[in-house]
Amino acid sequence: MSTAVHLDGITKRFPGVVANDDVDLSVERGTVHALLGENGAGKTTLMNILYGLYQPTEGTIHIDGTARDFHSPRDAIDAGVGMIHQHFMLVDPMTITENIVLGNEPRKWLGLAVDSAQARTEVRELSNRYGFDVDPDAKIEDVSVGVQQRVEILKALYRGADVLILDEPTAVLTPQEVEELFDVFEELTEQGKTIIFISHKLGEVMEAADEVTVLRDGKNVGTVDTADTTREQLAELMVGREVLMEPESDYQEPGDTVLGVQALRAEDSRGVEAVTDANFAVREGEIFGIAGIDGNGQSELIECITGLKTPTTGHISYKGRDITNAPRKQRIDDGMAYIPEDRHERGLVMEFDLTQNGILGSQHSEPFAKGGRIDWNRVETHAQDIITEYDVRPPNKDADAESFSGGNQQKFIVGREFQRNPDLVVATHPTRGVDIGATNFIHDRLLDLRASGKAVVLVSSNLTEVQGLSDRLAVMHDGEIMDVVDPSTVTEEQIGLLMAGEHIDDAERATIAPDGGDR
Amino acid sequence: MSNANADAQSTLRNLSYRQGLAVGTVGVFVLVGLLGVIFPGSIANDLFRIITSRSTLSSALRLSVPIVFAALGGIFAEKSGVINIGLEGLLIISAFTGVLVTDLVGASSSVFFVPAVWVGFLAGILASTLFSLLFAIVCIEFRADQIIAGLAVWLIALGLAPFAANVKYGSPNSDNLGSAGTFDQWTIPVLSDIPVLGAVFDATPVVYLMLLAVPLTWFVLNHTSFGKWIQASGENPKALDTVGVNVNRVRYAGVLLSGVLSGVGGAALSLSLGQFIGNGQTMVNGKGFIAIVAFLFGNYNPIGAFGASFLFAGLEAVQLRLQQVPGYAIPDTLIQTVPYVTVIVVLALVGKTKIPKAAGEHYESGDD
Repeated sequence: MSTAVHLDGITKRFPGVVANDDVDLSVERGTVHALLGENGAGKTTLMNILYGLYQPTEGTIHIDGTARDFHSPRDAIDAGVGMIHQHFMLVDPMTITENIVLGNEPRKWLGLAVDSAQARTEVRELSNRYGFDVDPDAKIEDVSVGVQQRVEILKALYRGADVLILDEPTAVLTPQEVEELFDVFEELTEQGKTIIFISHKLGEVMEAADEVTVLRDGKNVGTVDTADTTREQLAELMVGREVLMEPESDYQEPGDTVLGVQALRAEDSRGVEAVTDANFAVREGEIFGIAGIDGNGQSELIECITGLKTPTTGHISYKGRDITNAPRKQRIDDGMAYIPEDRHERGLVMEFDLTQNGILGSQHSEPFAKGGRIDWNRVETHAQDIITEYDVRPPNKDADAESFSGGNQQKFIVGREFQRNPDLVVATHPTRGVDIGATNFIHDRLLDLRASGKAVVLVSSNLTEVQGLSDRLAVMHDGEIMDVVDPSTVTEEQIGLLMAGEHIDDAERATIAPDGGDR
Repeated sequence: MSNANADAQSTLRNLSYRQGLAVGTVGVFVLVGLLGVIFPGSIANDLFRIITSRSTLSSALRLSVPIVFAALGGIFAEKSGVINIGLEGLLIISAFTGVLVTDLVGASSSVFFVPAVWVGFLAGILASTLFSLLFAIVCIEFRADQIIAGLAVWLIALGLAPFAANVKYGSPNSDNLGSAGTFDQWTIPVLSDIPVLGAVFDATPVVYLMLLAVPLTWFVLNHTSFGKWIQASGENPKALDTVGVNVNRVRYAGVLLSGVLSGVGGAALSLSLGQFIGNGQTMVNGKGFIAIVAFLFGNYNPIGAFGASFLFAGLEAVQLRLQQVPGYAIPDTLIQTVPYVTVIVVLALVGKTKIPKAAGEHYESGDD
């Protein structure tokens, strides 16, 4: 085997930040190499350097043993390096063929016209060779994300790429599509292609990669063979200390009821009933978990609680008052924090910098606003505090929210909501897309909140998370709360059954129902 | 499966809106025609005669020239991601420069065997192109707001051209260059003898140029690499950049083409009359804005834009003829609202005009 890619002492400095610090990386031809690291560890920067989007401050790139100097992606493409970005670079209204050949169109009539027949044939041949199943004439806007990703891979192959870089390729895929992608990896490496993929998920790295390089704080902290390592070792390398894979949760006696939901019904945006007769109460000093497969009414239930949706019938009480029809502003002012499911849509204003994002929801209240004017000095300090305390990287409060990676955006939202000093936190998928270190941190903060007597509603599709943190766990199926169980005694199989809509018989129930349940 | 079905159904529903609109328009014409035949001497009969007359077709073609060229130019610019609402200004600049240079050369003389009117024509195109270059630099290099820069192009031209005419001719209007400074009719034998439709073959060279430019533009946009780059640049510039095509270069090309084509339209307008009229809104009188409406109406398809321009020009031609029929003094200001009303109706009902996703946004390459 020969070395396809060799990076030698790559350092990249941005104003005020060292993104990559003397990184060495060697990848053998015909292998799958994973680049593992937390959000902001410098993985994407390193790969952008290899793809010619950035020039390294120091260090050299060798492709097939030859030193190369990439000034633009064009140079990288010419050297046989292709990159598939996290956000696809496709033109929606154009066909798959047009997208693949864009910039390298086969011509006819003395180069005057695009030879579409030729293009289509080439695309079909290419996709057959690697066992891809794509319709060359379908428009990008009409095909699934999985197919779009394959189009991106074909685009790189069409340009003669021997080395394929994929930036978090599984982030947008369904589990089924992830499996298919890994099959594609196998097919490609068998035909001599080299694959480098970026990830922060240990499971998929162990499954798909031959070798792993772990980056931490811009440094290469180790390259290991996946056959000789374990998930725990990789996790330790990633965060630089031993990590608890499962959060620790100590039970404590809960206090008064903070949130009460009675006979609540709600409809989804299409007018179909999404929540059927929900009843539960959340008390001070407890974490109330809601588990279930996404789309079983959790979103609508949460929207009713946070005031984004009006229930069809039923009541919601908060700190002893009926808030069923209270406006969102009143709920915020009364100390209800909300970590929304969709951080792009509801968590942040992407075009605002972090300073401005830091006061969303509190922009009208003291201490940030006085007499209709915003005290920007205070707001800036506030944003800086969140960034420091929640380790948002890069630590730049003046950068637009959209310039941060997903994990860092999430950390900032969590920080903002927790800084409100809330009485109730409604957290939906608070650690989705966040790396292990930050996940642990967010979990610890949720437990801190509980210890200080606050109430938490936690919705998550990650069973380990919701089971490990909650004091009581509600399982939803098709809009109905199937049961509220004690997460410390219930088994994953039992939760699985509830999530699938099957009731557990009474004898078994007795052992898993939480004490002091209020059903 | 059911999803695909629903999609197909909604496509059908949308299609039938467009078809409904087309059928409705044709229906109105047929109704007018029928009524006209049944009741000779009625309003319908007058209308029918005007619509089907050779001279109406002839003037509709003539009137559509500046609108069509500006619309084709606007398509190139906007598809590439730069919204050029300064088309009106480009038309004014080239209309004036065309006449001025023809006059300076001497209407009846020629330069290297090129008749003065053609020299003026080229000069008009050049002036408009230079103006669009300025607009492109301001928008692409200096990242000015495209709408504001476009308005500036219009307002500068609206002030500059009549002012220059005043300096040269002592009035906002230029002198009339007479028949030597005006495009001749090129009459194609035999074909021009066809009743009514013969008007197409008995027209000024700029009309032929227009009939050539429309399919050519369509071809460039749909069947050349450049056309695909233009589309990618307006929809997802990053996609184009990452495959190694310089987005800003494509956008410059798009904007410059809008300058060239608007230049053709503007110079064609004034040199078909042999005079520049600079009073009020000048002789261009909103044609650049109607062009924007026309290409939106045609959903960025050159053929559609031509159809829409021709419809608007046709209405104007009918209106002009109606003025000459006693008893039908329809105010032209009323007729001029027709394109705008139409586009509001079309956008509201059909809602299928798909503006390029990245239109109006600056693009900055990932390089730093």
